[in-house]
Amino acid sequence: MIIAERKTLKELLEMVQGCNRIMILGCRGCVAVCSAGGDKEVSILASALRLGLSRQGKEIEIQERTLVRQCDPEYIDPLNEEASDFDAVLSMACGVGVNFIADRCEDINVLPALNTTFYGANLSSGEWKEMCAGCGACVLHLTGGLCPVARCAKSLSNGPCGGSQGGRCEINPDVPCIWQQIYDKLSRLNRSDEMKNIMPIRDWTQAGHGGPRRRIREDLLP
Amino acid sequence: MKAGSNLENVLRSGAFAVTGELGPPKSGDLELVRKKAKILKGHVDAVNITDCQTAIVRMSSLTAGLIALAEGLEPVMQMTCRDRNRIGMQADILGASALGIKNLLCLTGDHQKFGNHPQAKGVFDMDSIQLLQMVKKMRDDKRFQCGEEIKGSEPNLFLGCAANPFADPFEFRPVRLAKKVEAGADFVQTQIIYNVDKFARFMEMVRDLGVHEKCFILAGVTPPKSLGMARYMKKFVPGLDVTDEVLARLSDSSDQREEGINICVDIIRQVQDIPGVAGVHIMAIEWEEAVPEIVKRAGLDQRPEPKGVEPVLASLDSIEKAVEDARKEVRIEFEEELERAKTEAQASRELVIKEKEKVASEMSDLKKQIEEARTMASQKEAEVQRLTEEIERTRKELEKRQAISTSDLEAPVNAPVAPPAPPVPQGPGPALTDREQRVLESLNLGLQALKEVLGLDDSQFEALKRFLEAEFMLQLAQVAPPVPGRGAPPPPPKVEVPAQEVSTPVEEVVRATPEEQEIEQRPAVRDKEVVNLVAKGNLALHSGDYNGAIDAFEKALSIDAGDEKAKNGLAEAKAALEKELSGVKGPSVKAEPVETSQTLPPCPEDVDEQWWKEKWVIRYTARGNVALMKGDYDTAIAEFKKALSIDPQNEKAKDGLNRAENRQGIYIPSIEAGPRPVEKAKEEKAPVTEEPGPEPQEKEKEKVSTPEPEPEASKAKEEPEKPAPKAEKPRIEISAPAEEGVSDLSVPVLSKEEPSLPERAGDIPEEVYLEACSGVIQSVTLGDGDKAISVGGETALPFYNFEGQMPNPPRVAFEVLDTEPEEWPEVLTKYFSDCLNDPPAWAKKCVDEYNAKCICLSLISTDPNGADASPAEAAEVAQKVVEAVDVPIIFWGCGNAEKDTETLREITGRIGERKVCLGPLTDANYRTLGATAMAFQYPVVASTPIDVNLAKQLNILLENLGVHLDQILMDPSIGAVGYGLEYTYSVMERIRLAALTQQDDKLSCPFICNLGREVWKAKETRLPSDGMLGDQERRGVLMEAITASTLLLAGGELMVMRHPKSVALTEALVEGLL
Amino acid sequence: MSRIKGFCCNYTLSVEPEALKGEGLIPEDVDLERIPCTGRLEVPELLDAFTQGASAVFVVGCQIDKCHNLSGSRRASKRVAQVKKILEELDMDPGLVEMFFAGRGETEPVVEAARIMASRAGAGSRPE
Repeated sequence: MIIAERKTLKELLEMVQGCNRIMILGCRGCVAVCSAGGDKEVSILASALRLGLSRQGKEIEIQERTLVRQCDPEYIDPLNEEASDFDAVLSMACGVGVNFIADRCEDINVLPALNTTFYGANLSSGEWKEMCAGCGACVLHLTGGLCPVARCAKSLSNGPCGGSQGGRCEINPDVPCIWQQIYDKLSRLNRSDEMKNIMPIRDWTQAGHGGPRRRIREDLLP
Repeated sequence: MKAGSNLENVLRSGAFAVTGELGPPKSGDLELVRKKAKILKGHVDAVNITDCQTAIVRMSSLTAGLIALAEGLEPVMQMTCRDRNRIGMQADILGASALGIKNLLCLTGDHQKFGNHPQAKGVFDMDSIQLLQMVKKMRDDKRFQCGEEIKGSEPNLFLGCAANPFADPFEFRPVRLAKKVEAGADFVQTQIIYNVDKFARFMEMVRDLGVHEKCFILAGVTPPKSLGMARYMKKFVPGLDVTDEVLARLSDSSDQREEGINICVDIIRQVQDIPGVAGVHIMAIEWEEAVPEIVKRAGLDQRPEPKGVEPVLASLDSIEKAVEDARKEVRIEFEEELERAKTEAQASRELVIKEKEKVASEMSDLKKQIEEARTMASQKEAEVQRLTEEIERTRKELEKRQAISTSDLEAPVNAPVAPPAPPVPQGPGPALTDREQRVLESLNLGLQALKEVLGLDDSQFEALKRFLEAEFMLQLAQVAPPVPGRGAPPPPPKVEVPAQEVSTPVEEVVRATPEEQEIEQRPAVRDKEVVNLVAKGNLALHSGDYNGAIDAFEKALSIDAGDEKAKNGLAEAKAALEKELSGVKGPSVKAEPVETSQTLPPCPEDVDEQWWKEKWVIRYTARGNVALMKGDYDTAIAEFKKALSIDPQNEKAKDGLNRAENRQGIYIPSIEAGPRPVEKAKEEKAPVTEEPGPEPQEKEKEKVSTPEPEPEASKAKEEPEKPAPKAEKPRIEISAPAEEGVSDLSVPVLSKEEPSLPERAGDIPEEVYLEACSGVIQSVTLGDGDKAISVGGETALPFYNFEGQMPNPPRVAFEVLDTEPEEWPEVLTKYFSDCLNDPPAWAKKCVDEYNAKCICLSLISTDPNGADASPAEAAEVAQKVVEAVDVPIIFWGCGNAEKDTETLREITGRIGERKVCLGPLTDANYRTLGATAMAFQYPVVASTPIDVNLAKQLNILLENLGVHLDQILMDPSIGAVGYGLEYTYSVMERIRLAALTQQDDKLSCPFICNLGREVWKAKETRLPSDGMLGDQERRGVLMEAITASTLLLAGGELMVMRHPKSVALTEALVEGLL
Repeated sequence: MSRIKGFCCNYTLSVEPEALKGEGLIPEDVDLERIPCTGRLEVPELLDAFTQGASAVFVVGCQIDKCHNLSGSRRASKRVAQVKKILEELDMDPGLVEMFFAGRGETEPVVEAARIMASRAGAGSRPE
């Protein structure tokens, strides 16, 4: 899941400065699940903005709307019509949604209401944790399924650095040392010898350093 | 050997290595790095340069490493993966390697979160192990990380890594180290060790893996600076195990720093014992000063001599150092030079002192001798006194005896011309032999020198001189037998001698009688008496007192019947008396024969008539001169007329007459006749009428003629509008051997530059182009009389007449060899073919035919490597040359300092008062020759080998000796054109500029350029005529003339040359330029 | 509109709010609204109260562990906290919204809450 969080109200008030009519557009995808951009969040944001605006002595017409997903054309394309008389669409989807609206609705001024943070898992209500970096070159088979790229502060490939102490990462005692965990995991799986192997220097091209990534499946193409 | 770094060398040698750590500053402060490097240098084998440790921005490790390297401290450059991707890192690795960094410690790097830029994007393109792999691949496979080949130099680096034995998981740590070693680590430095036990366990596992055999393990240690620091490390530095024991030791200690060092040393000692530990890495964080102490206490202070620690690029510091070193070197050199110069100066000072002492002692010797001479003289005087008294006594006796007839005795006293009183003691005395003459001259020279040395004033000197001369004559009179004869007429009587004994004429006559009996027993006295009597006779005879003469001669014959002179005199006197008596009006007794028409007494039969006439002319002229001196012009006119009546062509008589008629001053053809007060006083008493003695001998003539030019010279001076060069002009037709090369020795007059410079300059103000000089070149005079020449005296550069004066034109001296030249080309010898083996004739030819103004006699025969003629032989030739010509003469030695000293001294001993010039004086013989020259006031040639400073030095030495700068000619050593002329030119020019513009008066002497010998030595002057080189003679002439003209422009004042044509050309040039 | 908006659940306040006003127990400008359960209050409602002119907003719910609807007042308190954060973001005094707890039928805590908030609104009232 893509994890996101709302930008601060100040940022958003700043963004809508000068608008008379805006649409706050939620997404019932990932951001709804991580309580960042679903119907509820849209409503709260609308009220908060209204309050903020009123305190500035301003009044903006705010329409609240939520799409099933903002990452599919079928939900996005109607906006060309529906949002045409709004000064801005404040999207509460992840960055993908904002980009998609921007791509497909040429005349619409789309604004991001959220910061898209990471690929994470919902540990419990209100807690999400990064698990993947989307690096495009998975080494999880070598690391007991635990990703050193996403979960090691220095993205080390060959074991814990000298800062690993008591299973904690040196950068923050609250952060577990993923290499300790990998070590433990592999040991548990009797695969600890694999850690003697040197992981070669990574190819970061698939991690986005080779340009915007794109995937095509011929069989599914229309 | 992988990289050949010092650290690698030390580790491979098996020595226990010590590395340190240097944290670059958080600024661009070069000095801080240098300071830290200086602290560590010599105490560690290499130093880690951290790469922004704890992610705080600092000076880059590469840069700081280079600074350390420049300080002579080998860096271990740390490189982290945090801040650069593989592109940046490889680039830096190449650069580091290129600039001489040989150790690389590969680290992942502290997370940026810890630093001062936590917002930074951590790059972490790879981790430390992958970095090791990459660098190893670059080094060993010559390939970049991407696989591309490194074309050219690969980075040769000794690779290191870090290991933390105290991090978790503990069991994995040795494995991870093994991975690093496998990836390429050659050495490892561990995290700070306080928990040695744990480290020992770690090492055990390491050994189990065999890692310690594949890489060098350096145990990391850090002296805790304080308890606070130790606590901080324990608490906040991840992976650092500070034991409670350490904390306790620190907290119990009164001096925590001291204890910190002790702890560190203890740990070093402990880890040293752990197998597999190859060295220690001391991280004294911001406490570099502790390292030397730690190393020392740990017994590791004897570090191996660093190898291969050389900065590739010269650092500013090293440049500074180099400059400083160079300065130091120069300073040291300078100081050494100074010291040497001081020592030399001291030595020469001592020498001068010694020399002075020597001179002083010589002088005191001389004084002693003089004293002795004086004593002797006073003894003699006493003797004379005694004799006089005796004579007086005898005379009185005689008077008593002849009391009755005293009539004739009074007369001679009042009238010296009276017959019985010829007042010349030695009368027509014996001619001085050559030897005696020389002795006399030497005596004069000696006296002259003595005068200089003793600083006598003229009157004192004159007195002394007269005294000694008297003594000399006295002795001579006793020794020399009378040698009468026409062939060698006796010299004129010395004026001084009669002056000594004013009253003797009478006494001599009187004395003769009572001593007759004694004379028989004393042949010497008898001879003397005879001489005296003969002299008296002659005097009387010449005075016209024939009776007196006959009387005297008869007396002489009565003593020595065989005396030829007396006989001749008697015959002459008798004949004269006879003639007088036989009616011809003879001279009156009163010696006033002015009215006499017949002035020439009849010639005795046995006397050559011509000789007789000359005798009388001289006699009358002398009388005239005496009268002239007394101021009795009428008498003088009468006497001179008498002389002219016999010989109307006599110049002296004419001149005398002229003077007498013009009532002009004294004309005394004698040196002694100078206007000296003492002299005059004596002269008044002296019976100068005796002056007209017998005809002077040749030598006397010379002596007399020498002073003659004086008045003429002074006359020339009175007439300013008569420059000397004009006199040289009529050199138009000099007969030369008609040859193809140089048929005509004459040179057309060089056209003068018209209009003058100021005219041409027009409106340009003078100060724009005029550069007045502040110095003056010394004026040096060579030779004497009107033939003397002066050179130098300029106040401007040569021929810069628009800027200053060049009062004396540069001169040319003809070179004459003292022996027949062996290697002179025919084109040169043909001009002197008739006199090449006759130096005096050669010199004379130069003067007479080629109008030489000066002669340089090269004493080449004296060269010890050549003919090695003795000084005496050379001096003889020299003397003849001196006698042959009256122009100034330079005696130029063979160049052998010792021999020249002998030769030139010998020459000075012979030639006496002629003011010659001596050369060359070098630093080897300037003392002796300088002293000699000084004594005779001769100018000298100071010769140095083409060097400004040497020239100056020699001048200074000579001046210190007492030789005045206006007595020195500088010989800068000459190179002919094509043979180093430009070198000579340059040195001369510099000397001249120094003298004129830099007030360097020690260089203000004129130049003498002995160039002829250089030119005619050159191959080009000797090769025969051919199509390419042209006519041999013209070639030689032009070479000599061009060399001379160049040297003239460089400031040369006196050119010594050989070929008459080139001399003519040179002189024409000089005249044209002036 | 009243300066102060209060929400309380049925179980907390057993009397009509107007009766309290009549008795002078709560200030005139306090608009007290009875709602079935504070757990039903959403963030926007609280925010909108401010938007509509309230200087201060308060919620009085059941004792946190004795809610009639078990967790209603707990939720309400979380939403009040959320509103507090939003007020903070908008540079407003988070004290202008508050959660109070009261026992069943206890009037005093409600009166107390109203007074507290009135005083906060008076003291902390900001110019518009």
